[in-house]
Amino acid sequence: MARYVVRRVVLLVAVLFAVTFLGFSAMNLLGDPLVNVVGVLAELDCEGIEAGLVEDTTVDAASRDCDTVAAARDQYHLDQPVPVRYVLWVGDLITGDFGTSFQNDQPVSQVIREKLPETLILLTMAQIVSLGVAIPWGVIAAYRANRAFDRGSTVASFGLLSVPNFALGVVLLYLLALRWQVFPSAYESDNLGALVFSMVLPAVTLGLPLAASYQRLLRTDLITTLQEDFVHMARAKGLPPLRIMFRHALRPSMFSVVTVFGVSTGALIGGSLVVEQIFGIPGIGREIVTAVVRDDFPVVLAIVMLVACTFVVLNFLVDLLYSWLDPRVRAR
Amino acid sequence: MTADDRRTGNLTASGEGPVSRKGRASRERLLERFRILRLVRSSRVPDDGPAEDAAVRRRLGFSFWLAVAWLLIMAFVAVFAPMLPVADPTKVAFSGPREPPSADAWFGTDALGRDVFSRTMHGARISLAVGGFAIVFGMVVGGSLGIVAGYFRGRLDQAVGFAFFVLLSFPSLVLAILITATLDRSLLVVSLTIGILAVAPVGLLARASTLVFAEREFVAAARVLGARHGRIIVRELLPNVVIPMGALTLLGMAIAVVAEGSLAFLGLSVAGEDAISWGKMIVDGAGLRDLQNATHVTMFPVVVMFVTVLSLNFAGDRIRQYFDVKELAF
Repeated sequence: MARYVVRRVVLLVAVLFAVTFLGFSAMNLLGDPLVNVVGVLAELDCEGIEAGLVEDTTVDAASRDCDTVAAARDQYHLDQPVPVRYVLWVGDLITGDFGTSFQNDQPVSQVIREKLPETLILLTMAQIVSLGVAIPWGVIAAYRANRAFDRGSTVASFGLLSVPNFALGVVLLYLLALRWQVFPSAYESDNLGALVFSMVLPAVTLGLPLAASYQRLLRTDLITTLQEDFVHMARAKGLPPLRIMFRHALRPSMFSVVTVFGVSTGALIGGSLVVEQIFGIPGIGREIVTAVVRDDFPVVLAIVMLVACTFVVLNFLVDLLYSWLDPRVRAR
Repeated sequence: MTADDRRTGNLTASGEGPVSRKGRASRERLLERFRILRLVRSSRVPDDGPAEDAAVRRRLGFSFWLAVAWLLIMAFVAVFAPMLPVADPTKVAFSGPREPPSADAWFGTDALGRDVFSRTMHGARISLAVGGFAIVFGMVVGGSLGIVAGYFRGRLDQAVGFAFFVLLSFPSLVLAILITATLDRSLLVVSLTIGILAVAPVGLLARASTLVFAEREFVAAARVLGARHGRIIVRELLPNVVIPMGALTLLGMAIAVVAEGSLAFLGLSVAGEDAISWGKMIVDGAGLRDLQNATHVTMFPVVVMFVTVLSLNFAGDRIRQYFDVKELAF
């Protein structure tokens, strides 16, 4: 086990470096990094202004802009080659310096700190919804496998997996918030109760397709488990079916669900970009989309890095958990 | 019922004690035992035996052809949209904005008074073009990387495997945003972006099937006959690996179409006034006021997109079953 963990940790560190390097060089090599950082200001002829060669009607403004450009050059080490810049940038990251948002001069770390809770609440609620729906659904489908309910649920989950989540979000928003007015149509943050209540629809939008795929996995595993001897034994003892399903069969059937938990969180993060947009939730996903539209590159880069690293670490943890649950995995 | 089940069944029925013993009590116990056995059996799922499985696999079924028909219609519409006798998708109609569906405008008009039916038809162009290009790109790049890595093994395999792992470490939409954020949003860039997303999953699939086939006798035979690596890869491995890859084409395309829709929904897909895409149409009509008063603007593209993705998934899944390919990476 120890050797396996060490091997995985080495891989984790390598992947983290590769992911950050890929993201960083994409930002720096695709397009002019100075333009990426300071936008139109990069076109200013600062040397000319300083030498007094270029006339500028708003000298004060221009020299201030030139200061901005110089500061950006300095902060992102733009006079260095990309690999050096990368190393310096990682150094900044490790000391907690994520750069400054080019849009409103806020430190990026503060922007993230403000927006992160909303996204975390949304993701947690989505996972709760999906597991809460998938477990009873999968159990019933497996218990009555190949009967009407199971066949129907196969069709239903196939359909759910084919709805793009933005389409599902719009349809749910229309039906439940506008037509029948069960849930609020937009984000509310008056108090925690209102916040959670207004996040129900977004969480359902994210969680329902995930529930469909969890249900498929759980059903398949449960059907296999139900043929095990200890289940026959429990039946022979006369235990009620519900108890057999939930106490005896469910736990050993959760392996596949645990495995895809990490991967599915990545899909959820992708989905949250869209869902936060539909329901107007001021979270990380909305922030990154706004930042992309406004070319606010420090924010985009920081959020992409944050999300990718979280995703990598999460999958690493799930891998460890899984290999602890099932020792055969380590042999691979 | 599989052979395995039958064995356990026999074991329980002809096992120790009660069968040979006399007396009422023991007979009752025996009956009880059979009752339990029946209970256990009835709750079991009959595994698809090999014969039944093959029968299912060899028949694509009516609904498969229904899905294919829809996809063909969509492809036809996508290719010939500019030539079809429909309204100009960018021109403001005479009937005014937010008109409900009528004989003139079958799907009504949107907030700017443009014909929704015509826009939905034109929207198929970008959605399907991006989806198709992306999966072809993923197959060519990912497929060749996967085959080469799986055939040569060793360092190369490790390097390619690591690259795939890194690509898969980005949540796909986030990676797509990273690329479209830094480059301009032309059709080519968006297609390439989603194509890059497809490289790693397709590559892993190609690598896995190459590993299987590279061990087979006909590859060894070719090597003994003195065939070069290139010839073995192209003549022996490729035809075998292409089948599972091809069987997953439609499933991959469904994912690509949804990915393009998500980008378009976020306003990060192909830019421009005449670049119509389903995702963009859906977000255009998704404002609360439009959703309330002119639901048709959003719902028609939603339905068309859903049916298209469903058809891709359904037909793709049938083809996958037909060729008996296990889903590995998707």
